[in-house]
Amino acid sequence: MTTSYAGDRTTGFASPASDVIEGPIDLSEVLSLSKPNRYPVRVSGTSFSSRCVMNGDVLIADTAGVPASGQLVIASASGQIILAELRNDHGRWLLISGNGSSQPLYVDPARDVEIWGTVTALVRTEV
Amino acid sequence: MFGLIDCNSFYCSCQKAFDPRLKHRPVVVLSNNDGCAIARTKEAKDLGIKMGDAWHLIRNMRKLEHVAWFSSNYPLYADMSRRVYEVLLDYVPRVEAYSIDEMFLDLSGFHEDLSVVCEQIRTAVDQITKIPTCVGWGPTKSIAKLANYIAKDRPELEGLCDLSASNVREKYYRNLPVSEVWGIGRRLAPRLHDAGIRTIQNFVDADEAFIRKIMSVTGVRLQAELRGENCLPLSEAPSQRKGMVCSRSFGSMVTDYTSMREAICTFTSRAAEKLRAEDLECGHLTVFIQTSPHRRQDEWYAPQVSLSFPPTNNTFSLVKHATRLLHAIWKDGFRYIKAGVGLNELAPSNRQHSLFVQEDEQKSRASDVMDVINRKFGQGTLNLLGAGIQKKWAPRQNMRSPRYTTDINEIMVATTF
Repeated sequence: MTTSYAGDRTTGFASPASDVIEGPIDLSEVLSLSKPNRYPVRVSGTSFSSRCVMNGDVLIADTAGVPASGQLVIASASGQIILAELRNDHGRWLLISGNGSSQPLYVDPARDVEIWGTVTALVRTEV
Repeated sequence: MFGLIDCNSFYCSCQKAFDPRLKHRPVVVLSNNDGCAIARTKEAKDLGIKMGDAWHLIRNMRKLEHVAWFSSNYPLYADMSRRVYEVLLDYVPRVEAYSIDEMFLDLSGFHEDLSVVCEQIRTAVDQITKIPTCVGWGPTKSIAKLANYIAKDRPELEGLCDLSASNVREKYYRNLPVSEVWGIGRRLAPRLHDAGIRTIQNFVDADEAFIRKIMSVTGVRLQAELRGENCLPLSEAPSQRKGMVCSRSFGSMVTDYTSMREAICTFTSRAAEKLRAEDLECGHLTVFIQTSPHRRQDEWYAPQVSLSFPPTNNTFSLVKHATRLLHAIWKDGFRYIKAGVGLNELAPSNRQHSLFVQEDEQKSRASDVMDVINRKFGQGTLNLLGAGIQKKWAPRQNMRSPRYTTDINEIMVATTF
């Protein structure tokens, strides 16, 4: 006797599904978490609740992502890791606050304002 | 054509990848137990911190007050190394992971200018893993290794060095000391110097019979490699292990048998787990314990003892052997600073090699179950009770950063803007 479900070897009637067993869904694969460019990041703060990003959510950052206007990004600014919205301002990237509580910041590596990765997915484990 | 890509101050760069506050600060990573400096950023090197400097001697120096010190965080470094490796595989057909922070690249078959290809690779690694690198390339692995050293040593090359042309190589060979060649260490260099071999060019031109005499066939092969004759192929799979050691210095001196038994038990369990992960068994086990050689006021005692037995990779059997050995060498009254377990006579596992020794089927299944649980819920989730719960002897790791990429409870935090 074994303790795991052997759906293709039933003891009484043969299972009509024995050839098509597919196993559970692997969310890590759905989110491509094993790719070298994917990193999970925890959200702290509420200023992006307008975009349904809540305190404590896990975002999947993609460090190979192509930035686009309107996208959420993980950025580093004056020594901090922040979540911001990206906006294109006449060819320059601008980091925008989620609720207008902070002044917009231009992306400028010379001033230590850099895009770390783009946000590609959101995981919430408690609803 | 081979390339060698090397991550700059790898452990420090891994720390910096997730902590922008470190961008302009000197960063130092310490060895297990926070003993001494094992990785330094350029800023830290410029402050005069040397490899192996004892942390407790330099930590309070005035000029080092802005240094960010970190305990080593190997789960993070291993995962970042994996990421670097995978980025490289997107660009070249074959990669040899030579060490945690150095990888050989198969650069044959490129029609483009290799400077362009290698610069693209550096940029991709930097963007995706946030790790800065240098790349050197040439017709053999030994030349690629030297090219990488030059790329790292000369900032004006901007991280790239091309030694594919023999006239370029010659220029460097004439000026660089022979000690910069891969495999010629501090031990060999003086002997070569005595024979008048000072530069790499001298070494390449040296009489083959003489080189064979002092360096055996390895030296002759190295000469050929430096001339551009390829003798060392890329190896993608590491050669089979001959032995493995699991040892640690303790966070505080161990004076009682129970703590020491816990430590030995922990090391043995970990080694057994590694054996099973690689499908190996071992037939020989060594246990050693040591007092500190630096404390003159204490008496020095450093015994080791070994035992042969029918091959196994079962945690329970190995722990039993190890505990017996420890019991045989243990003496009260000493202050032990380090201990370890070595496994030898490794061979692919085959659970039916002896008719006469019946391994307890239940025990080996229990070992397998432990592996599954520890892989799923993190190392050390399920342990033998003998390995201890409090682990008073555990190495000091007071400044370990979060395991940003391997533990969901320690991932990087982004503050909403």
